[in-house]
Amino acid sequence: MSFTELTKLAENEKYSTYELFFGPNHPGMHGNFSYVLNVIGSTIISARPSAGLLHRGFEKLMEQKLWFQNMSLIPRICVVDPDPNEVVYCNAIERLAGIETPKKVKYLRTLTLEMSRTTSFLMGMGALSAMTGLYSTMYRMMDDRDKILDFFEWLTGARVYHIYNIPGGVRRDLPNGWVEKFREVITYLKGNIPEWDKLLFQNPVVQKRLSGIGTITTEHAVNVGLVGPNLRATGYLADVRLDDPYEAYPELELNIPVTEGGDALARAIQIRKEYAMTLDLIEQILDKFPYSETKIRVDLGNPLKFKVPAGDTYAKVESSKGEYGYYVVSDGGLKPYRVSVRGPSLPAGLYLSQEQLPGLLIDDVAIWMASLAVCPPDFDR
Amino acid sequence: MMYALNFVLWALAAMAIGLLFMGISRKLTARLQRRYGPPFWQSFIDVIKAFSRKSISHNFIMDLCALMGLAGLLAAAMYVPMGGILPFPSDSPLILILYFMPIGYLGMAVSVSASGNPLASIGIGRALTLMLGYEIPFAIVVMSFISNYGTTNILSIMQAQAGGIENWHIIKMPFGFLASLLALEAMTGKKPFDVMIAPAEIASGPMVELSGKFLGLAFLQYSVAVFVETGLLTALFLGGGATVWEFVLKQFIVYMVLTLFSEIYARYRVEQAVRFLWIYAGGLAVIQLALNMYMK
Repeated sequence: MSFTELTKLAENEKYSTYELFFGPNHPGMHGNFSYVLNVIGSTIISARPSAGLLHRGFEKLMEQKLWFQNMSLIPRICVVDPDPNEVVYCNAIERLAGIETPKKVKYLRTLTLEMSRTTSFLMGMGALSAMTGLYSTMYRMMDDRDKILDFFEWLTGARVYHIYNIPGGVRRDLPNGWVEKFREVITYLKGNIPEWDKLLFQNPVVQKRLSGIGTITTEHAVNVGLVGPNLRATGYLADVRLDDPYEAYPELELNIPVTEGGDALARAIQIRKEYAMTLDLIEQILDKFPYSETKIRVDLGNPLKFKVPAGDTYAKVESSKGEYGYYVVSDGGLKPYRVSVRGPSLPAGLYLSQEQLPGLLIDDVAIWMASLAVCPPDFDR
Repeated sequence: MMYALNFVLWALAAMAIGLLFMGISRKLTARLQRRYGPPFWQSFIDVIKAFSRKSISHNFIMDLCALMGLAGLLAAAMYVPMGGILPFPSDSPLILILYFMPIGYLGMAVSVSASGNPLASIGIGRALTLMLGYEIPFAIVVMSFISNYGTTNILSIMQAQAGGIENWHIIKMPFGFLASLLALEAMTGKKPFDVMIAPAEIASGPMVELSGKFLGLAFLQYSVAVFVETGLLTALFLGGGATVWEFVLKQFIVYMVLTLFSEIYARYRVEQAVRFLWIYAGGLAVIQLALNMYMK
């Protein structure tokens, strides 16, 4: 029965449809979000995003805390990839205050951003594996992710919320022996990529499950506002690191891949390609790192009395999910006047879901979300 | 009286063997996943814990059919010859086992459907659809045995394999064995055929409404199903076993093979699973039947 026929049936026989609440305690849901699905049999007729379950008022809280105090709050907006929040917030403040950070800070920030991207990709690929039932692959990827978290802990003192970046610099320099050990781990992670290919990306069952799910053209993706790997999986190259370089990226050679197709399989393959590219990029950062420099922050005086000149700015970075932006307004006081966060998951999780979920089966909801790397805290704050 | 005691002991043994296999399987899975994993007796602890908890029952049908599910599979277990031994005199008719097994599945189906949870109902719908997928190839394999031996008595089929590995049906009927292995993967709810559980899709389906003792019963039912299903494959294709230990060891190997397969395959959608089983398991089963009939 075609989707149009099913919709007609739903209109005529309202008792044949039922409402299914998908999330937030559903194992297929990512984060504390939910969709209310109207279903006939297993086919979704309509989907309504049901937000508000995670609302912690981040943006309002930021207006009530000092510029520096917010550093401990903002990484919590995205658990999976927290560092872009830190860097983009610092960039916004530094731009408003006219602060130029030392070269070593730029490299350290770029390094942590790429490390965070790696952990996010491993989490993303792991989630996709779990959604298709490949739990072994997911756990093995989480083990790899843990290895990077070990190095985050060594460098920053924390595994998930690092709170490493501060306005004007970073908190710590690279510890002795860190780089050598980290290079070994990167080599190890690279060696595992063929295993992921065999288990996940070349797995015939996974390919069958992913192909044709949530297909989107480049034109439509741009119109909806998709960014990052989701946009690049439609064959269109757009990346903040290339288009509007920041931190140490202008000094790095970026070979950002694209994938044709626009469906869940193309997005999965795109993440796989970007994961390999990120590992290469980390090696490049370590090669070009200004080890001889010592300055890791600009002295901004007493943080409790730190003020940002009045003005507004939009800072953005390329997170693992795409453009991550902060619009920051300062009235010249001790606290931000307004901070608005533009998360990369917004177009997919909120808008595209209403368009693409109808017609899919219940079986494919979690795969659809994982393939688009929907991170609800990005937009349900 | 003696038979009643035998029945109870046999039922306990079937559950214990199933739970032990499940526990070791969890440990094996954990090691494959680079985890330490729970101790191998964890499944026993889980059952005891589940039975000690308060249960939520929706209606009488849910209570009755949960017991019916376990009873159906226990009845099937009575005819699985462990090392040629049975709890009471019987020829161990395969047809009777195949008749009792769906009673177990249907009992669970009615029980969780009575809960009224849509996710549980979807899971049951999937499980029953999948049954169509694996029962037909397995029935064709059974027909191959009938065409060979003119009987469905497992004891006779086991005796025909006596004398060495070369007489085992895994050697003599390889296509039938592969078809049965695929069917067994689906019967035990292992990937790529775990559509009825599918946590990411239907939040564990039938399990979603099972609390306390109902969950304990579901565990026990699955443990008996594991015993029966691996027992069938062992008896039909691996020569059964001269002793109970030999039989259980073969069952264990079969279950571990199923577990290993399960860990490297993603989950099919239900229609993909049924199509796969009909085309590949069904195809292999038909080839075996044709070969048996041709060589007779």
